[in-house]
Amino acid sequence: MTAASAPAAPWSAVLGSGRLLRLELRHNAMLWLLPVAFALFWYNGYREIMALPPMWNLRAMTLQNRLLFDLMIPATGAAAWMGSREGRRSITDLVAGTARPRWSRQLATWAATTAWAEIGCLACVAVVYLITARHASWGGPLWWPAVVSVAGVPALTAIGFAAGAWFPGRFVTPLVTVVVFFGLAYGTQAASGDHSYWQISPLTAGAFDIGAAPGVASFYPYLPDLSIAQVMFTAGLTVAILGALGIPVARMRWLAAAVTAAGLAAAGTAVALAGTGRLDPHGMIAIPALHDAASDQPVRYTPVCGRTPIPVCVHPAFATFLPAVTAAVGPELTEFAGLPGAPARISQVAVVYRQDPGNGITVSGGGPGAAAFVLPDEVPGRLGTTGAEFAAQLDEGLGLQLASDVILGGSNRAAASAPSQAELAVIAGSVRFPPSVEARDLAPVFGSLLPQPGSPAAQAARRFAALTPAARHAWLAGHLAALRAGRVSLAQLP
Amino acid sequence: MNVEITDVTRRFGRNQAVAGVSLQAGPGVFGLLGPNGAGKTTLLRMMATVIPPTTGRLRLLDRDPGAYRPRREVRRRLGYLPQNLGYYPGFTVAEFVEYFALLKEMPAGRVPGAVATAIERVDLGGTAKAKLRTLSGGMLRRVGIAQAIVNEPDLLLLDEPTAGLDPEQRVRFRALLRELGQRATVVVSTHLVEDVGAACSQVALMDQGKVVFDGTPGELTAQGTEQGTGDAPLERGYTAVLAAARA
Repeated sequence: MTAASAPAAPWSAVLGSGRLLRLELRHNAMLWLLPVAFALFWYNGYREIMALPPMWNLRAMTLQNRLLFDLMIPATGAAAWMGSREGRRSITDLVAGTARPRWSRQLATWAATTAWAEIGCLACVAVVYLITARHASWGGPLWWPAVVSVAGVPALTAIGFAAGAWFPGRFVTPLVTVVVFFGLAYGTQAASGDHSYWQISPLTAGAFDIGAAPGVASFYPYLPDLSIAQVMFTAGLTVAILGALGIPVARMRWLAAAVTAAGLAAAGTAVALAGTGRLDPHGMIAIPALHDAASDQPVRYTPVCGRTPIPVCVHPAFATFLPAVTAAVGPELTEFAGLPGAPARISQVAVVYRQDPGNGITVSGGGPGAAAFVLPDEVPGRLGTTGAEFAAQLDEGLGLQLASDVILGGSNRAAASAPSQAELAVIAGSVRFPPSVEARDLAPVFGSLLPQPGSPAAQAARRFAALTPAARHAWLAGHLAALRAGRVSLAQLP
Repeated sequence: MNVEITDVTRRFGRNQAVAGVSLQAGPGVFGLLGPNGAGKTTLLRMMATVIPPTTGRLRLLDRDPGAYRPRREVRRRLGYLPQNLGYYPGFTVAEFVEYFALLKEMPAGRVPGAVATAIERVDLGGTAKAKLRTLSGGMLRRVGIAQAIVNEPDLLLLDEPTAGLDPEQRVRFRALLRELGQRATVVVSTHLVEDVGAACSQVALMDQGKVVFDGTPGELTAQGTEQGTGDAPLERGYTAVLAAARA
């Protein structure tokens, strides 16, 4: 064996591979598509993420839902273009006569493409997380959603690269991009319920029907169960595809086939695991085989309280909403503070989620009294919710809960006794509903707590609502016991 | 012998491109002549280990390229310039030659020097940093030769290497061939019989997939003294052998 035919020393081979990778990095289509990736992310993902309140759970889970989708077109396209490069440039004969195995050569090109795509992915994650870190009132970065996105990038480039390598031609790039685009888009829409195999899509962050909600992963830790399965799936898919690229290489056929089989087994196992998922009460998907019981312990926190006649306390992650909460129910807090049955303090508690048969999820929470309340998941900035809509929800929920609890006497009241017309009028007069709600929308829900529109009770409620909170408080301080006892008529209401 | 070909055939479907060729070549410049479709390129591709023979025995550099490990060893010592040179337009001359040095698994420490030497040998030193997309056809051909010789191959296979070169470059290239032939086996497939006459020590003439002549350029010239057509003595020998083979 001559010196030239002998294999290079291991360190020299590593150095040679490094030089090859450097060349591929310098001449990679993904480098030129990074601005496109950033523009797509800015347009589709960044603007929506930044419109959300600065809560780690909301932003990190939305990031997972958007980032990979935005990177999909440039990353898959660039990988397909690079994979088809040898065929398109008619260089196959020239490279076929070289010593480095085709698999090794292809992996260098794929690795360079993936490296640039990962840099783009990590840059997007860094921007979102740095900005969120500056504004978030509590907590730290949720890394699992970012890990899922980062692990999904090699899968995208592997799919594109393999398609380009197997079917070299100018049209394979747009074709594979379109196929992967619709595949990903359909994958996010196909999931139904907490046991759906489609949850394995790396774009699905948490329970599909809830998505990124403020109540998820705030009182309890972020469950990594589904994320682990998703990472396992994308890693398995990547390994399987890269292994399949090596199957035509004579000497490495069995090794490549074994790698492919291992990758497919990992991906298949991950899909099966996703199918065993169940929605836990805290809004996350728990997978029994991957679940750590320690994750079910609530997160310790010190609540943030407002300076209102009845203090309202919220989880520190929701601190930015405290002014909106106190403003929305401020008159009720002033009106009922100190009255018999009024809570000394109102505290936010965790939302409870329950999977219904089919595709629905019931969201509930709060205590039997007015001392505990849940903040609605529709916070300003989420799903286009405005500040006014958020305030209306609070008034309909917390305000009505507080008013009915104080006026009707809460749990002390006999269960069978229906509220009097005067009580209904005072409740309705104390809570500031939007007109449309007062007239119609809430009636089916809170029908037992609201007077019929146009009825004498509704007219009395309008009269009572015209008073200031202090005047209403003064009247209630003197008449609440009589009101609860049914000794106050509508005509006697101020 | 660096090249030992024994009764090699190669089929593409129903078409037999190479039909029972036997050749031997040691160090020196070996010319492979023949008309279009004679099977020269297919024979060169088999020698370059790009495609395997359908039947027959092929030994290169005393190794059997049919097995994986010997084939890889052969490829480390092989230089190949295909007829249609594909290239990456965004690469510079130096990067393209370096790329192939790395694919030929040259020791990484030797690569920069070898790249510079190969580029100088084809007179492209001044354009080493030029992108391939900016080069003329003749310059691209020289880049192809540079990548073929960057690893100082023991077996150099050149398919139409002088196509697109100007007369001055062809003269220089023939000198380079003679220099490379001092230590390596250089197989040159060409239409241009003057290249063979000027640079080759041995020549084979192929027609319809078969070798119809194998000898020295002088012996080929002697075949045309009575009945060949053409302007140069070697051309007359070439046409005379072809006419005899087809008769």
